Amino acid sequence: MRSLTNFAPSTFEERGAAVAFTTPVLAQTRVRKDSREQLEVLIPNLSEGRGIYVVPWKSLPLAFPMTAHDRMLHDLIAKGEGCSPDDIRKAVLSAARCGLAGPHAVEAAEAALGDDEEQRLLINYQLIVEALKSAGLESTDILRAGLASAEGQKLTRDLMSKAAGKLGMDPPELYARIAELAGYMESIGLATSPKPARLRRLMRDLNSFRDSMTEWATDNVSEAAPIGGFCAEVAEHTVNHARNVMTQLDQSVAAFETLLRQWDVKRGVVRKATTRLSWLLDGWEYLIVLWADAVTRSRHEQDMAVNEIFRVIPLLPRDEARIELALAAEKLLSNNRRSVRAYVDWRSGQLDVDLVMRIETIKGRAA
Amino acid sequence: MDIKDLIALGDKLLYIDEAKFRQIVELLEQMGDHPDIQRTIAVIRPRMVELRIHRRPTMKRLFCDPFEDLFEALDSAAPLPLSVIERTLMNSLWPLVEEKIGRAKLKGYHGALHDGPQRDNIADAFWMDAAEVMAGLSAGSEAGRFDGAMELRLNPDRVRAIADIATILSIAPEIRDLKAVLSPKPVTKLHKDHIDGVRDIGRKVARARPEALKIFVLVAAARLSNPSILLGGLHDMDFGQKPAERGKLLMELTDTVVGQIEDRSRSLKATPDAVPDRLAVADLAVDLVASLDATRNAVELTRNKAFDQRLKEVRHSIHDMVKTQVIADADSGIVTAVARLTGGTNDKAQLLEAENQARALRKCATIADSLGLRGELKTVTQKATGSLTDQARKALAAGPTGSTSRAGFTAIRMIELLSGPAEANKLMDEILSKGPR
Repeated sequence: MRSLTNFAPSTFEERGAAVAFTTPVLAQTRVRKDSREQLEVLIPNLSEGRGIYVVPWKSLPLAFPMTAHDRMLHDLIAKGEGCSPDDIRKAVLSAARCGLAGPHAVEAAEAALGDDEEQRLLINYQLIVEALKSAGLESTDILRAGLASAEGQKLTRDLMSKAAGKLGMDPPELYARIAELAGYMESIGLATSPKPARLRRLMRDLNSFRDSMTEWATDNVSEAAPIGGFCAEVAEHTVNHARNVMTQLDQSVAAFETLLRQWDVKRGVVRKATTRLSWLLDGWEYLIVLWADAVTRSRHEQDMAVNEIFRVIPLLPRDEARIELALAAEKLLSNNRRSVRAYVDWRSGQLDVDLVMRIETIKGRAA
Repeated sequence: MDIKDLIALGDKLLYIDEAKFRQIVELLEQMGDHPDIQRTIAVIRPRMVELRIHRRPTMKRLFCDPFEDLFEALDSAAPLPLSVIERTLMNSLWPLVEEKIGRAKLKGYHGALHDGPQRDNIADAFWMDAAEVMAGLSAGSEAGRFDGAMELRLNPDRVRAIADIATILSIAPEIRDLKAVLSPKPVTKLHKDHIDGVRDIGRKVARARPEALKIFVLVAAARLSNPSILLGGLHDMDFGQKPAERGKLLMELTDTVVGQIEDRSRSLKATPDAVPDRLAVADLAVDLVASLDATRNAVELTRNKAFDQRLKEVRHSIHDMVKTQVIADADSGIVTAVARLTGGTNDKAQLLEAENQARALRKCATIADSLGLRGELKTVTQKATGSLTDQARKALAAGPTGSTSRAGFTAIRMIELLSGPAEANKLMDEILSKGPR
């Protein structure tokens, strides 16, 4: 068994962002930009061979038979502007929404987009409240009138003008800063939010994944147990890093007045922290759901799931991790080689429809 | 915890976390052999098998050890053993065996429950005793009678099962060796070492108790993922019998295997009340055809024409099953589900059913030739693909972001499920390259 772990990227950009393909061999492979700013995809474990195949993005459909959904996703990513986790997520949701991955994927994508919209409203409101609070103004009247109502909006404008005056800046400037901050914080949300946003939820789930995997790997005699232990360790490191970044970010936002006053300096810090968080947690949704699905299944299927998780596990880049995870993974590999893994129906060489169906189900739940 | 509380938990025990589940199983075991506990254990047995919980060794468990592979399957999808022994029958038999052997004597056999150099010898002696008791019970059992001691009505299957248990216990040491050869269960393919091992042990059985050879082979078959695999393997095994005896044994076994395939082919018949899921029918059909082909090859080797007609009938019944439950009306079901999307409704259940229909059709493509359904399947697939292509073109005429585009993409997905991604991608490229992409 080979895995993405046997190449050790230095940065997140070099590691690439995970793409939720439904073609089994391409599931959760990573896309990044090469030195000429062209997209390329990293494919581990091809025919159980060593190393990682790097295929130019344009050539991917020529090199692999892909599902129609994947062709669409491939096209959307190629036409998109970048390949950050957020860019990829946007493309993944719009590909899923069109119906090429089945009705479950449509439903999940629409729910995810609806949730994003709800979070956007919530964070905007919370930031306005924070701005008013930092200027010593009350915001309960807005809540009473309703943020979306004409009366509420007028009240908000008046209060915000007052707040801008108190903070020593023009109202449009204050609006622009809050809007920009809301954009950065949309996927993370505030610590005080009544409904945790996507990345906060993901961090909580990753914590549970680590616990569940550690418990599974302990006292387990299966050959996959050390691999499971390693996956739990990677999750642990990721959670620790994410928690540090999240804490710093929450502290910056908690000191809201300072944040607004020193916006030119602080915006960079906030932007960097939010980007880093989305990179840190990128690729885990699918693995968390894959594992949650596997724990209800047989031992053999759990072993297979652990191997599949290991194949595409998002290792922390060298610049991030204090310990050398790639080296640890390489050691593990030399002790746990596996021989055959089929992604295709062995009788016909065609795509394994059952496997595609399973990936689609998991993807539906992970959106 | 009180016993009543535990039993009240019932199937909730299937969903509690593993550590707690193990604790509860341990607790239940300590509570003894009460009928309520047996019922609770019966409910949670699938999960116990799943987790491979190591049960506390007891004399009852040792009694069952040689014939446990013939117990009815817990998973409805798993193939049944060729000769089934009910757990309830065993539960009724054990107190009688216990009584006849005597508690004092049984105590002497407790050494077989612990590791030690004498373990196998003590176990062999116990099985020998148990076999004698069972032979006595078997001689006195008569079909149709209600047995007061067992509190069971004895039907022919139960009479047969009692005789089988007696025979298996009489060759228990050989069955122990057989389990070591055919392990871990289920064995999916017979390799040379398996065949050699079964042959050597089988020879021993044929010499000592020739009448036990058939049930010995049935136990061996129960340890395989598909019992018909053994039929093919049997031709490479010489148990040292006379040709006539060998022929008879093969005939009997083939009869049992074919009987089982016949039963399975009837298991998913549509009734006026319930129509089985098309994908489940397709899965069963693919599985049955594999069993049928393996059996046919084995029967051809024996050059015995007796089974040809039965096998033909089974093939005919699979043919009918696929024709009426997978192929019939599949095209209209799929096309209507997609057409509804164009109408603005979003009937997810119907769409999922249509997807299953499409997958079932594609699955059956692998067995269509052998069932003589190639033409019909091709017609239905082509008809569906044609209508779906028209729907896709129409719905995507305004481009991929048009109001009806989801119906168009769903039609393309159905084509993909029916005919594979190459066809679907070709159509998608063709439509989208013409329109405003």
